Amino acid sequence: MTKSTGPSKSELLKGTLDMLILQTLTVQALHGYAIAQQIELLSDAVLSVEQGSLYPALERLQKRGWVTSKWGESPTGRRARYYTLTAAGRRQLGDEISDFDRVLLAINRVMRRA
Amino acid sequence: MRLLDMLRYRLRVLLHPGRHASELDEEIRFHLSLESMQREHAARGALSATNAQWAAQRRFGNLTTTKEEAREMAGLGFFDTTEQDVRFALRSFRRSPGFTAVAVLTLAVGIGANTAIFSAVNAMLLRPLPFEAPDRLMQVSLTVPARGDSPGRDDIPWSYPKFAVFRKAQTIFTDITLWSASQGTIRVGADAERTNYEVVDGHYLPTFGIRPAIGRNFSAEEDATPGGAKVVILSDAFWQRRFNADSAVLGRSVSIDGDVFTIVGVLPAGFRGISGRAELFVSYMSQDAQMLNEPFSHGWDMIARLGPGVTPERAKVVVRQLGGVVADAFPNPRIKNERWGAIARELDRTRVDPVVRRSLLVLLGAVGLVLLIACANVANLFLVRAAGRRREIAVRLAVGAGRRRLVRQLLTESVVLSMLGGVASIVVAWWGVKLLAALDPTKTLRINLGGIGAISFQSIRLDPAAFAFAAGLTIVTGLVFGLVPALQSTRPSLAGDLKTETARFAGTRGLTSRNALAVVEIALAVVLLAGSGLMIRSLANLIGVRPGFDAERVLTMRFNLIGVGQDSMPAFYDQLVTRLGSIPGATDVGLADCPPLNGGCNGTILVHRDRPAPAPGAEPNVGVHWVTPGWFTTMRVPLRSGRVFANSDRRGTQKVVVVSETAARRYWPGEDPIGRPVSVFQGGFDVDTAYVVGVVGDVRFGTLDSLPEPDVYLSYYQSARGRMMMFVRTAGDPRSVIGAVRREVAALAPGVPLYDVRPMRERVADAMGYARFSATLLAAFAMVALALAALGTYGVISFGVSQRTKEIGIRVALGATRQNVLRLVVGQGVGLAVIGGALGLMGALATTRVLRSLLYGVAPSDPATLVAIVVVLVVAVIVASWLPARRAAGVHPAEALRS
Repeated sequence: MTKSTGPSKSELLKGTLDMLILQTLTVQALHGYAIAQQIELLSDAVLSVEQGSLYPALERLQKRGWVTSKWGESPTGRRARYYTLTAAGRRQLGDEISDFDRVLLAINRVMRRA
Repeated sequence: MRLLDMLRYRLRVLLHPGRHASELDEEIRFHLSLESMQREHAARGALSATNAQWAAQRRFGNLTTTKEEAREMAGLGFFDTTEQDVRFALRSFRRSPGFTAVAVLTLAVGIGANTAIFSAVNAMLLRPLPFEAPDRLMQVSLTVPARGDSPGRDDIPWSYPKFAVFRKAQTIFTDITLWSASQGTIRVGADAERTNYEVVDGHYLPTFGIRPAIGRNFSAEEDATPGGAKVVILSDAFWQRRFNADSAVLGRSVSIDGDVFTIVGVLPAGFRGISGRAELFVSYMSQDAQMLNEPFSHGWDMIARLGPGVTPERAKVVVRQLGGVVADAFPNPRIKNERWGAIARELDRTRVDPVVRRSLLVLLGAVGLVLLIACANVANLFLVRAAGRRREIAVRLAVGAGRRRLVRQLLTESVVLSMLGGVASIVVAWWGVKLLAALDPTKTLRINLGGIGAISFQSIRLDPAAFAFAAGLTIVTGLVFGLVPALQSTRPSLAGDLKTETARFAGTRGLTSRNALAVVEIALAVVLLAGSGLMIRSLANLIGVRPGFDAERVLTMRFNLIGVGQDSMPAFYDQLVTRLGSIPGATDVGLADCPPLNGGCNGTILVHRDRPAPAPGAEPNVGVHWVTPGWFTTMRVPLRSGRVFANSDRRGTQKVVVVSETAARRYWPGEDPIGRPVSVFQGGFDVDTAYVVGVVGDVRFGTLDSLPEPDVYLSYYQSARGRMMMFVRTAGDPRSVIGAVRREVAALAPGVPLYDVRPMRERVADAMGYARFSATLLAAFAMVALALAALGTYGVISFGVSQRTKEIGIRVALGATRQNVLRLVVGQGVGLAVIGGALGLMGALATTRVLRSLLYGVAPSDPATLVAIVVVLVVAVIVASWLPARRAAGVHPAEALRS
């Protein structure tokens, strides 16, 4: 009945997942499955998210106003929900990327020195 | 833009949670079907459709968790958790029906009583007056400075001439009206009845924003000439009742006390005047022209509506100045340099008598204390229950439930319980409101109390405000009694709680909280006991007051004689007294114009004919009463000296008066008043000299708790009057002669209605109405409080005993006697009582002061009362701890140690 909040690894993952989702949406609006495919494809299957965790993340992004959704028709003719990046989402993505770059840079420095 | 997106999202989720869930389902189904299709395709037939679906699901992860997390993210998690907790709470209550029943009942009484008293407070003190824009209405009164032995007053009504001057001079009010409540014998056709009506001017209805439903208001001409057109407007109720709602009623007539009035209008339903009881509205210009022209005949109340932009404060200043204008126009002819004035106050402030306001607030405070005690009691029950659940809670903490989560769940439990209590409380509140309306202490005391009749105990009802109050109270209550146990029982603890054996001894921390709660309960109960004890003492003092007459077996009833000339009245009284006296079962008969304990009797000034005239304004005031010679015997008013009236004291013979003891003592100190010449300015006794022939015992004509005033009695036979109350002393039940009395009166004066028919004993009881009302309710609350406190103490002690069975067993094994054990346990209870009682006494001393103006003959810190309640308390606590103590004393050491 109570869900355990996992270790800090998932915290990192959660933030990263948001960033990855926002990134996939920069080109065009996508439905959930396509977002998962895209992340896997672009990272050469290195980053394979547990697909289920995508949907809570999408709710979270919508709640923050970074993403909006609309029902549309998929190429196969079935109804699918398409997610679009908002202007605020785009700004957020920029912030997250520069944060991420800074962290990456720092980690690299540490690793090289050690 | 982003805000808009966020808002739109949140609204969608919150307004259509069902749709949100089904859309998520659809989205996930879509995802899974694409994934399985993709896998099936990639395997090129090596994977069956079913296996592909399985693989897709594995890749997706836990479906349920995902959905739950998504809902949590979307902000719906709160509702899910709450629903879960509520279910869990209901299940656990079902498992312990005894606990649940006691707790729900306690809460239902606590919340219900609060809601009922709140309804009364709301109706009497808070709810806007039932008139249009009531906050713009002001009441304007005349003021008179203190003089001689009479204090100044600021509530004097108006005379018509003074009103006319005021109206002409003022510019701040848009509407300004005069009214006065009255009662008369109304005839429509042959049927006569006694009815309340109001005498009003043409501005009355516009001031309150009322328009006639049929016909018209009084016209400008009808409003201008004293002694003018006799016109009447009907209330909807009267129109329905007496005219069967006949729309062709205009132009027909109604007779009021023998005068014929033409109907010009009918009012909309619901409006019963500011008195709240008027059936008819009569034009004030139809009144006696002479009375309207008399500047010192003060009998009209003024209500005024503020003009646009005029603040009440401004109006008060202006009215004060206008008071000077009125005083200049009508200087007091008898007393030079006495400055009258005028004062305005918000009509809302005059809505109830200060006594009513104070008793209601006291009751509200008292009933609030009862609820606090109830909370403490239920919190106690929860703590005991939590002690039984320590293992369950410890297990859940151990397997990783967050403390916040557990606290939330326990609070949900207490709020759910409180809501059950809240629902049950509606029954209690409904019943309480009925009881309040039935007890209505103002019903019979109208004449002694200020306030607006439209605001009465009859207007108390369970309205939306009351339900909102109950709902709010329910939730707050649930949180209040739930918080301590919830925090207490989830304190991250001791792995020891997992081990049952140690848990037995680990209850000490809970025990301290429980002791504290019991102490609080006892202290609050003491405060309530003190308050109710004082009110009961006060009531006892009132009951002990000797009103100066014997009320047992006396029937009283009123009637007004209309259309009989002054000269034939004495013969009428003779016949009436003889006829009533001949009724079987009647022993004595007397008439008086104003019953004792009623207030509002006549009064005027007394002049000693054998002394130099005092300075104007320094003349003594006396009450004036008309009686027949037999009245003193009928009422058993004792004769102190001289004689009472004789049947031979008639018109034309020497005028005589009888005075009361207080009058004799005050106006003839150290002298014999018998034979002294006086004049009273009423009943034709102002010009002639009358002689005092007797002194009788004091009678309390005003209220029970005010000392008797000096009174002078005149005989009906020397000063005829149409207004009379009959007093018939009977051998048996006074009610048994009602029929006979009606027949005799009807034979003498056909068609004159008898009213206010009641045994004198009831009148005396009514005179104590307020004291009895407050004392009864406070006593009821105090009893509930005491019972709850005793129950709480019992619970604490009894739980303590069950926890200490082993310890007691050891004591007994080591040689403790039965006596020792009893003393140990009862001593614990007495300890609680001493601390709680001391705190409570301090609280009582601090709070009973608010009762001062409600008490009669007892000080708020009355030591006898305080000692008495301490005794009651100690007895209650000893009884409450005796039962568990006996159980403890019966502990068999071997069994206790083995268990």
